[in-house]
Amino acid sequence: MKSPLVHCRDLTHVYSGKVALSNVSFELDAGEPIGLVGPNGAGKTTLLSILSGFLRPTSGAVRLFGQPPGATQLIGKVSALPQVARLDPGFTIIEQLVFYARLQGFTTQQAALEAGRVLEEVSLTDATHEKPAALSHGMTKRVAIAQALIGKPALILLDEPTAGLDPVNVRTVRAIIAERSPATTFIISSHDLAELDRLCKYILLLENGMLQPQTSGLNEEQAAIRYITLQMETGPAREVIAQLQALEGVLQVTNPQKNEFIVAYDPDLQPQMDLQLMQCITSHHWQYRQLSHGKTLEEKLFFKH
Amino acid sequence: MHPGFLDHLLLISQFELKRSFATRSGLLSIVTFTVVWCVILLYPLRLAAELLVQEKGLMQGFSFLDVIGFGSLQKWPIPEFGLFWHFALLIFPLLSIMLAADQTCSDRERGTLRFIVVRSSRDRVFFGRFAGVMVIQALLIGAAALSTLALVLYRDAALFSSAVPDLLVVTVNVILAVLPFTAMMAALSAKVKSARQATVWAILIWTFLAAIIGGLAYYLPTLAFLTFLVPGYQLSNLAELSGWHTLQLAYVPLLQSLILLAVGRWTMARRTL
Repeated sequence: MKSPLVHCRDLTHVYSGKVALSNVSFELDAGEPIGLVGPNGAGKTTLLSILSGFLRPTSGAVRLFGQPPGATQLIGKVSALPQVARLDPGFTIIEQLVFYARLQGFTTQQAALEAGRVLEEVSLTDATHEKPAALSHGMTKRVAIAQALIGKPALILLDEPTAGLDPVNVRTVRAIIAERSPATTFIISSHDLAELDRLCKYILLLENGMLQPQTSGLNEEQAAIRYITLQMETGPAREVIAQLQALEGVLQVTNPQKNEFIVAYDPDLQPQMDLQLMQCITSHHWQYRQLSHGKTLEEKLFFKH
Repeated sequence: MHPGFLDHLLLISQFELKRSFATRSGLLSIVTFTVVWCVILLYPLRLAAELLVQEKGLMQGFSFLDVIGFGSLQKWPIPEFGLFWHFALLIFPLLSIMLAADQTCSDRERGTLRFIVVRSSRDRVFFGRFAGVMVIQALLIGAAALSTLALVLYRDAALFSSAVPDLLVVTVNVILAVLPFTAMMAALSAKVKSARQATVWAILIWTFLAAIIGGLAYYLPTLAFLTFLVPGYQLSNLAELSGWHTLQLAYVPLLQSLILLAVGRWTMARRTL
């Protein structure tokens, strides 16, 4: 029988009396990137540290590919970007990446090529022979991402991969994830919900160390009520709500943030709601910035109506 | 095909060798050791050896060396090795406490160990680092012993054939003597946050354990066997022996090392990285 990619059962972790994770149970299969979200202190890093084998859970069971975290059978199969980890200051970047590749079973020559390849992937070829102290925060982060890409891991655990990166490098990381999926499954912990919304189809929501029930089923395609998120440039909120509310098939219009409107509608009554909205905007000479199907991840997870 | 335990042991210990012999901070330590050793070799060791050779006849039956605990010097046919033996039993365990203090602690605090453990295992890292530090010390001990041999040959080249067995004896014995100290530092390094803390704890444990057990053994002689737990407790007895007789006590550091490594491995397996 094929074992799931990740299997956690009744996972609990207590840090000096404070519960960081409480009876967390879930199973994940290989495929599209999986997002791990939650407020500060929700237990995201604790969960990723347990999955990576850096931390032993107080109780409960964890299996990756049917093996406990840290098992030698997982070498080369699982890799991780820890939230807080710095390279050895005594060695150059290339020396350390070659060493890591050698540990994964590459020969000396292959390891040198592989280290060069992953550095190129994160646009750090120029820093190959630098020592970690010579790198900026963003470059250090990119080297840490590069080490997670060595070889062909089937599962990569990324803890805040884009925190501290400039927009260009955020885009690079996003491209790497998109390119490697679904051959590699990514579990990504982040506070950047827009980022996760773009990348992930499956989300795990942790709150106070507990996994929340809306973890799965965020797919709206089969739902009886659908949503469109509309971001306006101009337009008086009260009038926009009144006009949109009057459209056929619209069930409710909310205005959660300035210039952002969420239109709930019945797809059976109006299957082409997007076109109807555009016509309404044009006829009133309003200007819009963005129209997207569904709610934002932030709305789905934290502001349920 | 995943690399096996021995492959990783070799890779990790090689990386430690590189840290000592191919990085600036490592080379600085080696140069410092070399300078200190050269001073010891050229002054106290050479001058004492010359004195012992010149006054050999006078020394017969002279009890002063016995009084200060250096009586066994007279049993060594080549006095340089006898003196090396006494100096090495003092210097190398102390060097071991400093050199082996940072086997895993600073890498763990920095998070570097996470990058390594995710593609190896805690056991492999623990034993690989220990093996690496032992090889480095073995090289230093070997180099110090060879420099002593050079001193012997400079005095009398004809002593070569009789000096080689002595060279092997002292090298093997000093390596055995530092083994439990290195294992103790491996165990401490797996627990504490910095090399400095490991060194402080080593000195405290060493001193207090020796004092407490010594005190207990004085009042309750049946507890004398507990002295076995103190790394290096056999060194004073060892200094009284010479030649291949020194291996009589080899079981002590070996057993101590096994116990300390088991404790260190247990600590490392449970430590948060």
